[in-house]
Amino acid sequence: MKRLALTLLAAAALPGIAHAQATDTATADVGVSGTVAKLCTLGTPTPAPVDVGQMANTSGARVGKITVIAPRTVTLPGSFCNFAGSAITVTATALVSTDASAVEPGFAKAVNYTADVANWAAGSATVTTAATAGGGSPTASATGPTQPAPKVADLDVTLSNFTAPSDFLLTAGAYSGLVVVKLGPVASGGD
Amino acid sequence: MKTSILAVAAVIAATAAFPAAAQTTSATGTVTINGSVADRCQFTLPSDVINAGELSLQGSGATAGKLDSSKLDGQTRTLQGWCNGTAATMSVEAQRLVNTTFTTTPPAGFDRVVNYIATATANSANATDTSVTDGAGSSVPVGMFTGDVKVTLSGSSSPTSGLLVAGDYSGQVLVTLTPSVTPAP
Repeated sequence: MKRLALTLLAAAALPGIAHAQATDTATADVGVSGTVAKLCTLGTPTPAPVDVGQMANTSGARVGKITVIAPRTVTLPGSFCNFAGSAITVTATALVSTDASAVEPGFAKAVNYTADVANWAAGSATVTTAATAGGGSPTASATGPTQPAPKVADLDVTLSNFTAPSDFLLTAGAYSGLVVVKLGPVASGGD
Repeated sequence: MKTSILAVAAVIAATAAFPAAAQTTSATGTVTINGSVADRCQFTLPSDVINAGELSLQGSGATAGKLDSSKLDGQTRTLQGWCNGTAATMSVEAQRLVNTTFTTTPPAGFDRVVNYIATATANSANATDTSVTDGAGSSVPVGMFTGDVKVTLSGSSSPTSGLLVAGDYSGQVLVTLTPSVTPAP
């Protein structure tokens, strides 16, 4: 009987073939996600408050009537919205005498003005108050154009065009008004 | 002559005895069995999610709207896997978080990308990569192991340290285990 050697060889066991095929790479993933909420911020108004000083002429042809009041500018530095589609709404309240007494004919206890907020969109947000001589209906509001991109800017609020209703004589006393600037998403559309 | 006859007889006897001797000799057949185990790596827990939530700082201070790095830094997730060869390597690729809802170039002062560093740790080996540059970081030897592959985030930042554009941000960390080629025995 002849001695018989029977060898079984697995092809994968051949040196040089087996290890070259060992490319069983494994990949795993960790998804990372987050959100950034829509945010608008207005810088601190500088200077504020605004004191326009004496508003009536104390001599001359227009004595007792409103004098020329130089425009005032207040800056809101570093104001921003981090999304597209924002707008400014400015609400102005006329300067009205803090004296609640009724005014006599020929007199006014209110001073109107124009508030303009610039440097946000293509145009300004502008409103002019239209208070009556007696101080009625002192508040007006307007919304400016839409800013189509995220933006950071120094907003300039300019107060100008100070007038008295019917150019009446101004009653004596302290007057106060208010300008509110609102920066946020447009009412419709906008991102 | 007598001697000669004996000699012949002895030869015959020897010849006659030969078949008996052949019956006691062993014969061996051999079957050799070979096999192999290829170098291999596998993840048994191949995915996880880090939801970092709001990424920007709140409030109204000077940093409001900018990246809150605490939301990403220190985040960890643990995957699980194994490699059966001593030459296995590991690499990690950090893919930056990108705003998926605002896809155009942001205006000056804003960022829509958040970068970070990802570190994968397995078998006491650390592989790292920063998302600032594309592609995976350098491979490190990880060897034969089975168990945790810990992924940690650190060093988050935005390109200009600017305000983050509002929206949803998404990125990912890819960890790759490569068996490599072991030397032939």
